[in-house]
Amino acid sequence: MITLEQKKFEEIEKMTKGYSRLLVLGCETCSAMSFAGGQRQVEELASAIRMAQKTSGQEGEVLEDAIARQCEPEFVDLIRDKLAGCDAVLSLACGAGVQLLSERFPDKVILPGCNTTFLGVTEELGVWSERCAGCGNCILDKTAGLCPIARCSKQLLNGPCGGSMNGKCEISKDVDCVWQLIIDRLARLNRLEMLEEIFPVKDWSPAGHGGPRKMVREDLKS
Amino acid sequence: MAHPPCKLACPILTDVREYVQLIAERRFDEAFATIRRQNPLPRVCGRICTHPCETACKRGQIEEPIAIAALKRFASDGPWKNQYKPVLPDKPSGHKVAVIGSGPAGLAAAHDLALLGHHVTIFEALPVLGGMLRVGVPEYRLPKNVLDEEIQAIVDLGIEIKTGVRIGAQIKLSDLFEQGYKAVFVAIGAHKDRKLGIAGEDQFEGVISAVSFLRAVNQGQNPKETKKAAVIGGGNTAIDSARCLLRMGAESVHIVYRRSRDEMPAAQEEIEEAIHEGVQIAYLTSPLKILGEDGKVSALKCIKNELGEPDASGRRSPKPVPGTEFTLDVDMVIAAIGQAPDSSLVADELGLTERRERIIVEGPYTLVTTRPGVFAGGDAVTGPATVVEAISAGKRAALSIDHYLKGESIPAIEPAKDVEKVSLARSVVEKTRKFPRCKKISLPADQRLRGFKEVESVFSEDLATKEALRCLHCYLGARIDAEKCVSCLTCVRVCPLGIPTTSKMGEITIDPFACQACGVCALECPVRAIDISLDPRTEIAQDIKKAMSTSQHSGPVIVGFFDLHGNFDSSDVENLRQDYPHVLPVMVFGLRRIDTSDILKAFECGADGVLLARCPPESDPFPEATDRVKRRMAHARALVEALGLDGGRLEICDMPEQGLVQKELIDGLIQRIKEPGQVRSE
Amino acid sequence: MKSGSNLERILEGGQFAVTAEAGPPKGSSPKVIQRKGELLKLCCDALNVTDNQTAIVRMSSLSGCVLLKELGVEPVLQMVVRDRNRLALQGDILGAAALGIRNVLCLSGDHQRFGNHPAAKGVYDIDSIQFIQMVKTMRDEHRFLNGEEISGDVPFFIGAAANPFADPFEFRVTRLAKKVNAGADFIQTQGIFDVPKFVEWMKMVRDRGLHEKTHILAGLIPIKSVGMARYMRNNVSGLSVPQEIVDRMADAKDAKEEGVKICLETIEQLKEVEGIHGIHIMAVAWEDIVPRIVEEAGLMPRPVV
Repeated sequence: MITLEQKKFEEIEKMTKGYSRLLVLGCETCSAMSFAGGQRQVEELASAIRMAQKTSGQEGEVLEDAIARQCEPEFVDLIRDKLAGCDAVLSLACGAGVQLLSERFPDKVILPGCNTTFLGVTEELGVWSERCAGCGNCILDKTAGLCPIARCSKQLLNGPCGGSMNGKCEISKDVDCVWQLIIDRLARLNRLEMLEEIFPVKDWSPAGHGGPRKMVREDLKS
Repeated sequence: MAHPPCKLACPILTDVREYVQLIAERRFDEAFATIRRQNPLPRVCGRICTHPCETACKRGQIEEPIAIAALKRFASDGPWKNQYKPVLPDKPSGHKVAVIGSGPAGLAAAHDLALLGHHVTIFEALPVLGGMLRVGVPEYRLPKNVLDEEIQAIVDLGIEIKTGVRIGAQIKLSDLFEQGYKAVFVAIGAHKDRKLGIAGEDQFEGVISAVSFLRAVNQGQNPKETKKAAVIGGGNTAIDSARCLLRMGAESVHIVYRRSRDEMPAAQEEIEEAIHEGVQIAYLTSPLKILGEDGKVSALKCIKNELGEPDASGRRSPKPVPGTEFTLDVDMVIAAIGQAPDSSLVADELGLTERRERIIVEGPYTLVTTRPGVFAGGDAVTGPATVVEAISAGKRAALSIDHYLKGESIPAIEPAKDVEKVSLARSVVEKTRKFPRCKKISLPADQRLRGFKEVESVFSEDLATKEALRCLHCYLGARIDAEKCVSCLTCVRVCPLGIPTTSKMGEITIDPFACQACGVCALECPVRAIDISLDPRTEIAQDIKKAMSTSQHSGPVIVGFFDLHGNFDSSDVENLRQDYPHVLPVMVFGLRRIDTSDILKAFECGADGVLLARCPPESDPFPEATDRVKRRMAHARALVEALGLDGGRLEICDMPEQGLVQKELIDGLIQRIKEPGQVRSE
Repeated sequence: MKSGSNLERILEGGQFAVTAEAGPPKGSSPKVIQRKGELLKLCCDALNVTDNQTAIVRMSSLSGCVLLKELGVEPVLQMVVRDRNRLALQGDILGAAALGIRNVLCLSGDHQRFGNHPAAKGVYDIDSIQFIQMVKTMRDEHRFLNGEEISGDVPFFIGAAANPFADPFEFRVTRLAKKVNAGADFIQTQGIFDVPKFVEWMKMVRDRGLHEKTHILAGLIPIKSVGMARYMRNNVSGLSVPQEIVDRMADAKDAKEEGVKICLETIEQLKEVEGIHGIHIMAVAWEDIVPRIVEEAGLMPRPVV
């Protein structure tokens, strides 16, 4: 899933000042699962914004809604009518959702209520960690299912570096050295010799360094 | 929505779950109204009902069932009962109905018929009303003044009473129709004792049938004095007789029962109390012969049994063991081996043939007899059964008669089918916090036997509330709206009992029987896809608004969320209202149900401060869930501060050992609202 | 000769080499490097110029190397992959070759989080092993990474760092092997304080025959104070400082003297280790002590080849 964090309220309050009719729009997939922007957070945030408006003597209305995903035009279009009277939307979706809203409603001000963080897994309720960098060329078969692009601080393909100590990355004791994990797991699978070979340099273009990415499936598009 | 097991087990489908919840909420008058609407004899039932609801109660799978009968008594004995006024229809139907017998079946029928607008006359053969309730059940279990009050409330509906009239003797059924009665309900009960069938039964003085013994005792008459008595039989009548004998000064009372304790038909509680009081029970013993001297009973010859093959009733039949004869010295023998109805007086008119005991009804659920317009029910039809079954028959008869009087066909009101008892998963039982059942308060044995004082006392408000809070709220739990659910698995992770499960495709199932309606998943669901019937989130929001609408500006307005699991009573609530009219309480089944947005909503509605009061941890069925409230409160406080308000306006505290909240805490909160910037107490 | 550098000639000639480090300034004055160059000219065979070490911005290594060359001191160009992509790395290699620099040390670099610009984007386009391989291909095949031909020679003596004390211990030798297979002609290790542990590692290195395929120079860090000893023991990942070293520094009457003493003792032991072809002295903020250490270790004068 994509993980998100809701922006600090001070930042949101500043961003949403001055709009007479604001829609707080939640996203019920990744954002809800991150407890950043589901219906539950929409309620809370809208309430707080209303109180902030009242305190600052601002006249205004704050509406609430949520859709399944803000990254799909069909869902986004379903709130067209609700948006009609609004001058701004505080979107609690990831950056993709915020931008699709902007595209579909170019005359409205679309504001991001969350910071999109990473592609990751849930370790337990309330704890998520990064797993995938979206590099477009998966090598997890060669690294025992552990990704050095997403999880090595230096994205080494021939790691570890000299800073790996006690299985932790040099940047923090809380970060595992993924190369230690890769070595351990390959050893466990009796495949450690795979690392004798030098991993060639990476082509970073599918990872976004070749420019903004787009994927087209000729077999699917109309 | 499915019926909870307590309701299903009750012959009159009592809304047990509802009144128990109302008691937990300290809404005692409403609890009583809920009971009374369905049951015209709640104080009787609260004392002597066999409570099949308790046997079915899901709590019994955790430790012990809810003390439902005791709670019914608590709700029905209280001073608020006098506020309840049944509503009679504006226009009487113009029909007259005769009810034969003033036992529970007859009284219930009369009550319901009166509420349906019919004119009812009760014909009672004895000079007193109540049937077995009066002349069978002893005073120490059911005080006569209680019975009198309940009967009076029924009679006050405008029911005509004719005592000392035996229908079938002076007046025949056909006479009743000629007198203008359009329908008759025969509810004459089962007052005929079976004979022992042993030698000496009719020979000596001192051999008494249990029915006549109890009737005499209950009417204040003193039958023959006794020092050593034997009671033959194993049902409640035998136990009642034995316990009465002790109170009448008998030095020893033996119950002689032919099978073992496990097969005794009497209620377990009754057997225990009898033993506690000193009744001796000779199990696996049958009477052989009654011996006498000078025309009076002097001894009872008995023989021991062993249990053989099961008989028609399904119980193993007793077989006498040769050579085990022994003699009990007694001066009184009471025969309590079972009663039967005596329908001899009406048998001809109803076309009854065999045995002239039970009255035959055609449809067992319509209660019609062979004679049009004549209905029958209660012990007279079933043989000796329980009070609530008799009340059920009376209520069914009233409905059938009502249809009949309107010229409609009589629908068969089938009773709820016997539902198989569903077992809770072991993991759920293990994870449920144990709270022992509140013990009943009984007189010590020596105090009991000096007279016929009522043995059991009613629960205090504290105990009743505590007991009611043990209820697991069957079928009032969480329901997932599949359309909104995004399979985030939060409910699966946060449930304290591990009840929600997921399929591979993310379809979440919540077992409605197992769910205890704690409210945690409904709160934590990030997409608000879970609704719950107990303290729904929408209701909490409404309660906040409602509370705020009553606010008077006599001080800073504080919304207080109080946990119903706290140790407080209605006087504490009243005192809070008086001392702090600007503190508006919102009661919830567990502070764990309060989300950040609820706190914000209170402020949004204009509250100046919010107080969250946790119940004492030893009373909390979900202490870990309650613990998480702190974090939501911290988040709310951060938002409140970001809004420029002082965080001290928001307080979480523990409820005191007794009461709603400590004065100092409220005073402190008020102070901080008035003068922000002070150090908080937490 | 791959590069014809002084260091290469000494090592290939079977002599015990001495290299040291000169840290550039956080400023633009050439005087700092010049002073260090003068100081260390006679006591080392080549002098490393660090490259934004510990992710703190300093004058570039390449310019430091040019300044040293002007003084007649042989530089070792240190390059980290943290700050440059493959284009810049190759371009600077060509530039360094044109400027007469003949030794290059290919490194990953400490993470930018540790430095004074922690918000910087780390490049890490290629890693240190791929970098070694790239330079070797430029030198031996005259080819860029993309296969295109390079005009002219790229005569470099290629070095890499090795850390005998980082985890996983068992994999360290494999990693060394990878660097050697990639083309590392010489290795400079991390500072050694735990000699027995180092000896263990060297045994594994020798078991794989790596000591014959590359020249290993053992690293040394002279300790100036007990505070420095403690800091290295507790805060620097990749350094293994035994408690007894800390205790010796704590108990010493003259800390600096003790530090020199420890360093010299270590050198003596290292001389005996088979497969060690020299030492690399990293006298952080204490370059002045290096001539004395080399002298007292009996390694003066330096051979002229």
